Amino acid sequence: MKFTLAGVFAVLFHAIPPFLPLILAILAVLVLAQLLGRLRGYRMTDHRYRPAAIVALLAGLSTLWWLPMATHSRLGFVATATDWALLIAAALGVVLITWLVLHPLSYLVRGSRQRRGGTPT
Amino acid sequence: MSLIPRDPLRPDRRRLLKVGMAAALMPLSGLQANTVSTRARVVILGGGAAGMSMANRLATRLSGARITVVEPREQHYYQPGWTMIASGLWEAERTVRPNADFRPAGIDWLSQSAVGIDADARRISLGDGNTLDYDVLVVATGLQLDYDRIDGMSTDLIGSHGIGSVYAGHHAAARTSDAIDAWLASGGGQGLFTMPQTAIKCAGAPIKMTFTTQSRIKKVGNRDDFALDYFTASDDMFSQPWSNDFLKQRFDRDSITRHHRRHLSAIDPQARQAEFTGRDGQTETRDFDFIHVVPPMSAPDFVKASDLIAQEGAFAGEWLDTDIYTMQHNRYPEVFGIGDVIGAPINKTAASVKAQAPVVEANIAAFLEDRPLPARHNGYTSCPLITAIGRAMLVEFGYDNDMAFLPSFAFIDPRDESWAAWVLKEFMLQPAYYAMLEGRV
Repeated sequence: MKFTLAGVFAVLFHAIPPFLPLILAILAVLVLAQLLGRLRGYRMTDHRYRPAAIVALLAGLSTLWWLPMATHSRLGFVATATDWALLIAAALGVVLITWLVLHPLSYLVRGSRQRRGGTPT
Repeated sequence: MSLIPRDPLRPDRRRLLKVGMAAALMPLSGLQANTVSTRARVVILGGGAAGMSMANRLATRLSGARITVVEPREQHYYQPGWTMIASGLWEAERTVRPNADFRPAGIDWLSQSAVGIDADARRISLGDGNTLDYDVLVVATGLQLDYDRIDGMSTDLIGSHGIGSVYAGHHAAARTSDAIDAWLASGGGQGLFTMPQTAIKCAGAPIKMTFTTQSRIKKVGNRDDFALDYFTASDDMFSQPWSNDFLKQRFDRDSITRHHRRHLSAIDPQARQAEFTGRDGQTETRDFDFIHVVPPMSAPDFVKASDLIAQEGAFAGEWLDTDIYTMQHNRYPEVFGIGDVIGAPINKTAASVKAQAPVVEANIAAFLEDRPLPARHNGYTSCPLITAIGRAMLVEFGYDNDMAFLPSFAFIDPRDESWAAWVLKEFMLQPAYYAMLEGRV
C-alpha cells in the first residue's frame, strides 16, 4: 500500500488536531522566550551558558524513559533500528526545543542579576 | 579550495526547490482520475468503512449520477480501536464519530435498513416498506455477528460472569476490559480465548486480546497464577505463513496452550463453563474464570437470502459471490462488493477496504463506460499484530505468492516486533482510516 503526498496530508489533517493544544503551547513558550530575550538584547551566538545545554541534554535523555511510557509502551520494547531512529529523533527534538527556551531565559535571568549589580560568571 | 562552485548556490537552490515541489506534487495529479458523466442510479448498501469510502469516491468520480447510501446508523465506529478499548488503553468514545463528518455532498443518505435484494429486478427493499431501484449496486453491508450460534450466549452477558467479547461494539469492548480487570483482581484462574469456525473480521483481534490480557496479567500479578488457553477451529493461527509459525512459537514460549480444530459451541454463564466441539463432533467442557468470546460471522441475513450470495464453493450460503480481484459480482455484472461481506480467503479488515476502494471505483467507472474492467485487487490486507501492550508487528500481505508480505514502509519489517509499529497502531492508523473514509488515501 503506497501513500501519495496528498494522502499523507490527508492523514496529518486527522492526526494533528488532538495534539494541537500541546503543539501550540510548546510553540508559545518557545516564541515567548525567544522574543523576550531578543527584546532585551539576547543573541544566540553571543550568549554562553553551559547549564542550559546540560539541562536540555538531560531533558532529551529523559525522553528515552517518558516517551515510550506516554505511548503505553516501555524502553524495553524499543528494539528495531527504526524504533531507535524514531526515539533518538524525538530526543533530539526535545533537546533542541528545551535549549531554545532555556538559553534566552538564562540570558534574561543573568542579565537582570547583572543589572542589579551581580558578578558576571 | 572546494571543487563545487558555491556562488550559484542561491539560484540553483530555488530551481531545485521548484523541481522538488513539482516532483512532490506529481502524485497529486495522478489522483485526478477522469470523471464519468452518467445518469446511472448507484445504490451503496451500508455506510461503514467500505460504504462511506465508496460514497466519497463515487461522488467525486461520477458526474450526474444519483448516488444513494442506505445506512440506518448515524454514528461511525472506528472498529479497529475496539481492541485498544478492551485492553484498557482507550476510552470507548474515542472510536465514535458522527457519520455526518464524512458524508459527501450531493448524495442521498437514506437512514433506513435494507431488508431485501431482488437482483434480477435490480431492486432493494427497505425497512419502511419502500423500494429502491438501481443501475449499479455496491454491496458494502459489512457482516453480522452470529452470537446466537453459541448456545447460551448473548451480547447482554458481555462484562458479567467473566465473559468478554471485543466485537460487539465499543461499549461491549469497555465491558470486556472491566471483565478482565475483575479477573485480574481475583488473583488467578483460567482464561479461555476463542476463534470460531467461520471467517471473521479483523482475524488478528482474538490473538491481540490474548496477548494484551497477558500483558495486563504480568503488570498486576503473577503470570503463573493465570492459565491461558486458546481455542481455534482452524489448524493454524494466522493466514500469513511466516506469521503463523511465529505465533505458534510465541504462544508455546509464553505457555499459552493452543487447542486447534475446536470451536466454542455453548456457554453456561452461571456455572462459568464453556463447551467446545471438535471437527469430529466430540465435545469438551472447560471451566473458566474469564472467556473472550469471538462469535461466528456471516453476511447479513438479507444478503444471504438474496441471489447475490455465493451458490457454491467455500463461501456458499455465507458470503457475497464476488470476483476477489475485480470486486465485481460473479453473476450480476452491475453489482460490486467491497469489505467484510465479500467471499474472499482473507480481507475482512479496514486496510483491505483501503486497497479495494480504488479498485471498485475504477471498475465501476469502466463498467458505466462499457470498457473492460481495468483494476485488480491484490488481496492486500494489514494487521497491526499486537504481541504485548507496547509493541506490535505490522503484518501486511496479499493473495499472491502464498500470502507474501506486502510492506508499505521499507523501514518497518513485518517480521519484527517493534515500538514503531505500536505507535503507528496507537496514533496513526485511526487518522489514516478517517482519510480513507473521505476517499483521500
